[in-house]
Amino acid sequence: MIKRNSSIWPYLLVAPALIVMLTVVFVPVINAILMSFQNYDLRRPSRIGFNNFKNYLDVLKDPLFWGALGKTIVWVVAGVGLQFVFGFILALLLNKKFPGRGIVRSISLIPWVTPGVLIGLMWRWIFDGNYGVLNDLLLRLGLIQESLPFLAQPSTAFPAVILTIVWQGIPFFALMLLAGLQGIPDELYNAADVDGANGIQKFFLITVPSLKSVIYVTTLLRIIWVANSVDVIFNLTEGGPAYSTQTLSVYIFNKGNSLNLGYAATLSIMLTLVLAIVAVRYLKTMFQNQEGKA
Amino acid sequence: MMKRIMMAALAIAMVFAFTVSAADKVTITHWYWADNPKYSATMQQMAADFNATNGKGITVVAQEYPWDGGAYSQTLFTAVMGGGGPDTSSFKLTSTPLFTANNLLVNLDGYLNSWKDKNLIEASLYDTMRQASGTKSVYVMPWNTQVLYVYYRPSLMKKAGIGVPTNYAEFLEAAKKLTMDTNGDGKIDVYGFGMRGAKGGQEPWGSFIWARGGNFEKMDSPQAIQGMQDFVDLFKNGYTPPTAPMDGFQEIIANFKSGRTAMTVHHIGSSAGMVETFGDDVDAFPFPGGAGKWTSMGDTENVMLKSAKNKDAAFEWLAYLATGKGQETWCTVTGNVPVSKNVKELPFFQNNKFMKVSIDGAPWAGILPILDTTTDWINNIWPNTVSAALLGKISAAEAMNKLQAGLWD
Repeated sequence: MIKRNSSIWPYLLVAPALIVMLTVVFVPVINAILMSFQNYDLRRPSRIGFNNFKNYLDVLKDPLFWGALGKTIVWVVAGVGLQFVFGFILALLLNKKFPGRGIVRSISLIPWVTPGVLIGLMWRWIFDGNYGVLNDLLLRLGLIQESLPFLAQPSTAFPAVILTIVWQGIPFFALMLLAGLQGIPDELYNAADVDGANGIQKFFLITVPSLKSVIYVTTLLRIIWVANSVDVIFNLTEGGPAYSTQTLSVYIFNKGNSLNLGYAATLSIMLTLVLAIVAVRYLKTMFQNQEGKA
Repeated sequence: MMKRIMMAALAIAMVFAFTVSAADKVTITHWYWADNPKYSATMQQMAADFNATNGKGITVVAQEYPWDGGAYSQTLFTAVMGGGGPDTSSFKLTSTPLFTANNLLVNLDGYLNSWKDKNLIEASLYDTMRQASGTKSVYVMPWNTQVLYVYYRPSLMKKAGIGVPTNYAEFLEAAKKLTMDTNGDGKIDVYGFGMRGAKGGQEPWGSFIWARGGNFEKMDSPQAIQGMQDFVDLFKNGYTPPTAPMDGFQEIIANFKSGRTAMTVHHIGSSAGMVETFGDDVDAFPFPGGAGKWTSMGDTENVMLKSAKNKDAAFEWLAYLATGKGQETWCTVTGNVPVSKNVKELPFFQNNKFMKVSIDGAPWAGILPILDTTTDWINNIWPNTVSAALLGKISAAEAMNKLQAGLWD
């Protein structure tokens, strides 16, 4: 019989997961950090080597970086904000009892389970300035007189990609908030009814506070995912026209695609830092709230 | 006992025979892209034909990957750098510096020197291949070329009361006159020129730059800037669809086929589809010159990757594509200009009006400078800079300065 050494056994159990984590997460991260300090351009392999902070200085002087950072902020705030609002509305509707609720719940998940590449291609044709169904609808309704090149002009291209990501993300918020809504005890609403609270009061004094943790976690996750999202924008516009839809993640993708991996790694580190600032502040507030509640 | 020995001997003989026959068989993996399902089926048929007729036990497995506006080359590069990828692949010259700089291609000089069909391909084509690699060696096997020209609708020209443009000024005028309200509802329903403002648009755009006397070496010259201004003016004046800044290959072809545009620039590869749509009501002319003249020579080659295990067999396949039955089949179906002299002489190529226009334009056909910046310039810098100019965010001069810096700095 093998004697279990109590001091080693826990480490052995954790080891497989730790090894996998180290291999697939930490090694690439360290590699990316190292690359960000190198002139690592595969188009010029003979010049690969450390260049200290040159990439970082170049990034800070790069107008495309600042433009993309600004776009990323708008993309995340508008994208996640609208997803949250419409997701909440959908969750409240789906929480009501009505015939066929199960089917409606399933159908409402379709945008979330559709691959981003497919969403990009589908909406690209919807927005098409010559044959798109959106133009056709607007023309038939008499809202426009001539087809609009939605994706070919900066004033409409960025709102169009935001609309697409909102459409994709609503079901995620709806699903998570619906699960949270179902966990709120009916007694709370009954007691509020006895106290004479109206619907708005119940919403802001019972529903929202009860969902605080769910809202924090889902919003944080979605901020990170949307900020890192490439597939939808790339398949809709590739960051154009005139860089008007180029967020940081799309810029990183384009730089990586053009094989300037050192510069792409530097941009990635910058994006990680920006997201880390958001995430740390966010988590801090969340834990403070929870401690306050306890 | 004897029976056992006999059985053992038989088993050994079978294993030996199997091993030898397995050793004789060679599999070559070939990557390619196809513009439509017909071309895709043709490549599969060519591979099957080669497998059945090569007589050397070579089996080519043709695997298709999307061209995706040039992303194919990156896919190939990433796969090969990662230790995978095919033995041979279809290829574009613009990718040569990247692949040769990373030592990924087989030098074909030795194979070409002992190849009986070497002289069936023009020596100048080999020179172009050498030039692209930046060495004195050939790393890229010619396959076919496509000379860009202007497709037009004769019926629309007649309606606009104009003839086929014979010079650059007439071409610009034609784009204006062909922009028409054909049904009298007060809205433009035919645009004179189907402009490609997205990736790939640098090829037709180059003709405007050269027509004004500019060139790619000095894109910030007054002549080149004027060419850019003409390009921008076509859009600003409404002679192109308003979607032009984001229109790529699919869009310009769809717009021309639907009758939304009266002229567009592409090569013979689309001619079969055009004739299928319009019958006799489609024709072509070489992009006309002004102070200068240039049209883009689209090129498609094949390469052998260093990782190919059986290089002799791989060259047999490349040779089949360059001068063998594969050359005839592919160029006949796609309408591309063959590189093999004997295939060029076939009646199909001699009697095709689009081929004639391609050949007429060939003396002015050229390629973009092939530098290590070219791919990024084509994929990112050109489309975003030109769309910024088209949309009025920057001037033609600013755009040309950016394009010059992006390619040459």
